[in-house]
Amino acid sequence: MSTAIEFEGVHKSFGQNAALVDAFFSAKWGEVHALLGENGAGKSTLMNIACGLYAPDKGTVKIDGETVIIDGPQSASGLGVGMIHQHFKLVENMTVLENIVLAHGTGSWRKSLQTVREQILNISDEIGFNIDPDALVNTLSVSEQQRTEIIKVLIGGAKILILDEPTAVLTDEESSGLLNQLQRFAKQGKCIILITHKLREVFSHATRVTVMRGGKTVDTGKAPIDLTPKQLSQLMVGEAPEITHITHSPPGEIVLELSKVAAKRDNGLPALDNFDLKLCAGQVFGLAGVGGNGQTELAEILMGVRSMNSGEFHLNGKKLAKPSTKQLRGLGITCVPAERYVYGLAGDLSVMENCVITHLKSGQFGNFSWTNKRAIYKATRQAISKNEIHGAEPRTRARLLSGGNAQKLVLARELSGNAKFLLAHSPTRGLDVRACTAVHEALRESAQKGTAVLLLSEDLDEIFAISDRIGVINNGKIVGVFDAPADRREIGHLMVSNN
Amino acid sequence: MSLTSLNFIRHRRLTIEVRQRISLYLHASILFSALVFGIGICIAILVGRGVELSSIYEEFIVFTFLDSAGISSVIVESIPLVLVGLAAAVAFRVNFWNIGIEGQMFMGAIGASVVALFNIGPEILRLPIMFIFACMFGIFWAFGPAILKVRLNVNEVISTLLLNYIAYYFVLNQLFGPWKDPRDKFPHGEQYDLTERLPAIGWEQVHYGIAVAAFAFVVVWWMVERSRFGVNSRFVGVNSKMALAVGLPVSTIIAGSAMASGSLAGTAGFVIAAATEYRLTFTMAAGYGFSGIVIAFLAGNKPISTVIVAFLMGSLFVAGESMKVFYSLPDALVGLIQAIIVLSITASEFFVRYRLRLASFRDT
Repeated sequence: MSTAIEFEGVHKSFGQNAALVDAFFSAKWGEVHALLGENGAGKSTLMNIACGLYAPDKGTVKIDGETVIIDGPQSASGLGVGMIHQHFKLVENMTVLENIVLAHGTGSWRKSLQTVREQILNISDEIGFNIDPDALVNTLSVSEQQRTEIIKVLIGGAKILILDEPTAVLTDEESSGLLNQLQRFAKQGKCIILITHKLREVFSHATRVTVMRGGKTVDTGKAPIDLTPKQLSQLMVGEAPEITHITHSPPGEIVLELSKVAAKRDNGLPALDNFDLKLCAGQVFGLAGVGGNGQTELAEILMGVRSMNSGEFHLNGKKLAKPSTKQLRGLGITCVPAERYVYGLAGDLSVMENCVITHLKSGQFGNFSWTNKRAIYKATRQAISKNEIHGAEPRTRARLLSGGNAQKLVLARELSGNAKFLLAHSPTRGLDVRACTAVHEALRESAQKGTAVLLLSEDLDEIFAISDRIGVINNGKIVGVFDAPADRREIGHLMVSNN
Repeated sequence: MSLTSLNFIRHRRLTIEVRQRISLYLHASILFSALVFGIGICIAILVGRGVELSSIYEEFIVFTFLDSAGISSVIVESIPLVLVGLAAAVAFRVNFWNIGIEGQMFMGAIGASVVALFNIGPEILRLPIMFIFACMFGIFWAFGPAILKVRLNVNEVISTLLLNYIAYYFVLNQLFGPWKDPRDKFPHGEQYDLTERLPAIGWEQVHYGIAVAAFAFVVVWWMVERSRFGVNSRFVGVNSKMALAVGLPVSTIIAGSAMASGSLAGTAGFVIAAATEYRLTFTMAAGYGFSGIVIAFLAGNKPISTVIVAFLMGSLFVAGESMKVFYSLPDALVGLIQAIIVLSITASEFFVRYRLRLASFRDT
């Protein structure tokens, strides 16, 4: 096996932040090479250099042993490098075919449509992807969109495939399907680079692994078999993450009760149907389920931004006919939403504004006529140091924080009051091990203080790690509730079975 | 030789990077360079039209800024511009695209004229009453679009735009009909009595409209920069979904900002009617709506910058006016100059947001 792609001494900085410091990396033809690291370790930056999105400040890139200059996505594609980004680069209101022609069409649009259609069908057949070239991208599921991206780079002639956390958006089953497919690509002689922070994937599917930390390469080229999970995670975070042994707490009084709730999706189809839920003070209730089974709508009802079609909503024993956000917030509901920059933060405003927005009403930062900016600044400083939000100054724009730190900011805000009920919707999506641990600790801690915590997650590890009670949502209904520790296989089965 | 230099080019490229933050000094110098760039183009055009460099300097600098008559007319010109600029800024901050500033100005002037025509209130309080009526009428004209937007999600661009025409034709109807000047039978309102006019402050033609504008500025500054309403409205403007999710009264904030905008536009109508025209006319609002939009845009919807931009815009009007008179330049050329300067400042935003950098591919 000869070397496919090689990086030497690559530097890249953004403003004063050095994202890559003397990074090196090499992957061979015919292997699945895992690139492991925390958020902000420089994995994506390095690979964005390979696919021509960034130019390095210093350093060389070699493909097949020859130094190359990658000065744009087109030239990367010409060199056989194709990347599937974490956020898909697809035009949502165009068809699969049009998207691919847009990226790799040659000559006339009409002719390209024909040739590319054949290519799509051929490749789909060959690798068993069932993709309709004429489907609109926004009607496809996430995993289908990902397959479209894969077909796109294959049609572009990619021999080096880079996938940025491809399984973050997939279910367990879809993930293993994808990873197996990647292994088959490798057997055909392609070079697969898998950016990930899931150790399990590294052990199950990677040929070799490279670990990055803080913009530097800390270990490269070892086979995962030669390492233990503990060693690997130690390389990743510098120290082994503590495995939390939780002490389950007994249920307190019922804080929130939903009974026979029905709600519709945006497209008019039922999302929740005859949905019952009881949450007790002092407990973490983990609601497991494959994404798209009504979790988003449930979260939106609990946030007060979607109305129920029928059913009853009790909070603290009080029946709410039409719960509004204002009312819910007043009664002590807080939330950590799934889409941080949609419901959680205003990206273009400063950290300090984002940090206190829900507390202005309490009057601790001045009355309606005068906001005390100095007090806000001070409180934000304290929140930053207490919650270890790195890279944040009170005046930085919230959008410039990395995923984990942005989530810590949301948590800092939502948990700083006296929350009666906390909704956490996929709170660790896209976060690294250390940030995950911090989020989990914060959730446990708030339960210990007597808050009823509802955790909506597609990640079973997470559900099992911190829940006192575990429920399963499937097709808009609760199909089972268990006391932790529960049988993982049974829950997995309930998540995917048809009912 | 040529190969090596080619290699040099191939190994370097200009990259565009997002700036994490920008120092005030750099921000100011980028803006200033853009201004110089725009002015440079304008000078080239004017020189091309046969205006001499020295007279450009005299008109734009000496007679506009260094001369008592010049600077005072700039101030007079700027007063309504500050008010419409603030009107636009307040609404745009919460993404309420108020295109109806001119209609709200007409309503403000109608409100003031109603008080003047029917002699409402004691003479000593006549001006304050006119001011209050102008505000109320402006608010009234913004109220409909605001409610339609927050309740029924009706696009405010259309509703405010169309209300401009209703206000305009209502003014025409009144001026050609019942409110026609009884003295000269011309289609403009009856002249206000002396007690109904904003008096001069005693320096050139500058009038007490400057106090009205200053008051409006202070109120707006307090409202958007210091009050809780201002902080909340920033969230509504940047991310209304999030504002809703954290329990802010989004509809109230949007409607409130829209009505504040209407009252500022109404005030502009009052100032023009009571300090410049001394009556209701149907040409008084012409062009102010769009000037307000441009000013708010260039000022980034910030009150202090709005005042500065309005002042610069006012000086451009004044200098352009004298260019028109003394050098018989067409009206369009004045508009062209304004447009060039607006465009260069707008384009400079790119350099504020991004940094251009020469990056090399190889270790040298």
